[in-house]
Amino acid sequence: MPIITVDNKKVHIQELNKGAEQTVVMIHGMFSNLSIYYFNIAPILAKHFHVVMYDLKSHGMSERFTDGYDLENMSSDVLALMDILHIEKAHLVGYSFGGLIALKTALKAPNRVEQLVVIEAPDPQDEKARNIIDEYSKEFLEHYVANFTDTTKVQMGKRQMEKNHRMYEFLFNQTSIKADMIKEKHFLTEVNLSQLETSTLLLYGSDSNCRPTGESLNAQIEQAELELIPGDHNIPIQEPALIAETIVHFLSQSLSTPLTQNHV
Amino acid sequence: MDTINTTLKLNHEELFTLLKGFITEVIGEEFVEEMDITPESSFTKDLEMDSIEIVSFSEKIKAHFGDQIDFTGWLSSMDLDQLIDLDLSMIINYIYECQ
Repeated sequence: MPIITVDNKKVHIQELNKGAEQTVVMIHGMFSNLSIYYFNIAPILAKHFHVVMYDLKSHGMSERFTDGYDLENMSSDVLALMDILHIEKAHLVGYSFGGLIALKTALKAPNRVEQLVVIEAPDPQDEKARNIIDEYSKEFLEHYVANFTDTTKVQMGKRQMEKNHRMYEFLFNQTSIKADMIKEKHFLTEVNLSQLETSTLLLYGSDSNCRPTGESLNAQIEQAELELIPGDHNIPIQEPALIAETIVHFLSQSLSTPLTQNHV
Repeated sequence: MDTINTTLKLNHEELFTLLKGFITEVIGEEFVEEMDITPESSFTKDLEMDSIEIVSFSEKIKAHFGDQIDFTGWLSSMDLDQLIDLDLSMIINYIYECQ
């Protein structure tokens, strides 16, 4: 299991097609892990690019930490990971909260980000996500998992329920995640998105609650294009191949050789 | 006497033992003791493995067999329903064929 140390933190990473010309760093969302990309999306991207996936702190198999869940810290984590892996410049792909981390990283270090792909990033001003933390209880988890789980269609058994409960309880009760998310409430209105020069692909579900955020980002970011994918917020699960192919098509604009050639 | 090493190719039973060992490492002995792992055990329903645990399991297969088999490639060719129904014997058969 590739566990590397970044800034004294143990981080679980997975890499595919290491020798490729360009690198894509993939950032998952809150309460998820790198498996959202690992099985379907990453292998398609890896036909053309070096792909790096990692688990956010306290998620998946990365080490647990009590603080640093705001976008400033989470984007610094991306850059520190790139430093350790000697990646000067990469394409960033982020899903949901990971999309906001990718956006923040591109604003903070534009010279380190080749192109940007933002999938279903929500507006943190939307209180629904934060209310989940307020109202958290084990009963809530059971209901949430039964209705909104984004990692599997299977009903969770006892062991998984306990495992997830421990993760949520740790994140909600023992970390600064709630305060850090409140701190980011106005992120999308405070930043000057018109200054973002990075070419950006926005992928949103045609039936997603987050779609207005995608449309708003499209209007504000000069070099943006918005693609609607059939589905809701869970499009990486619903349409993994379509998402991967749309990303490859977008990112391949910067490859030195055309797509028809095999880079693997 | 036959001195050629033919043991490199594991049979179905040896593969089952090997994979059961990987599963134990991934989900922990205390849980494995409580369940009866058989070749018919399904990953998601019987073993209750979530996707990040299947990532760990895949990594162990990759580390053991190297380039001999493309396990993640094989998994990625399946849709979600096929993944949910995946059981140990399907993986054993796949690895057996690839050896």
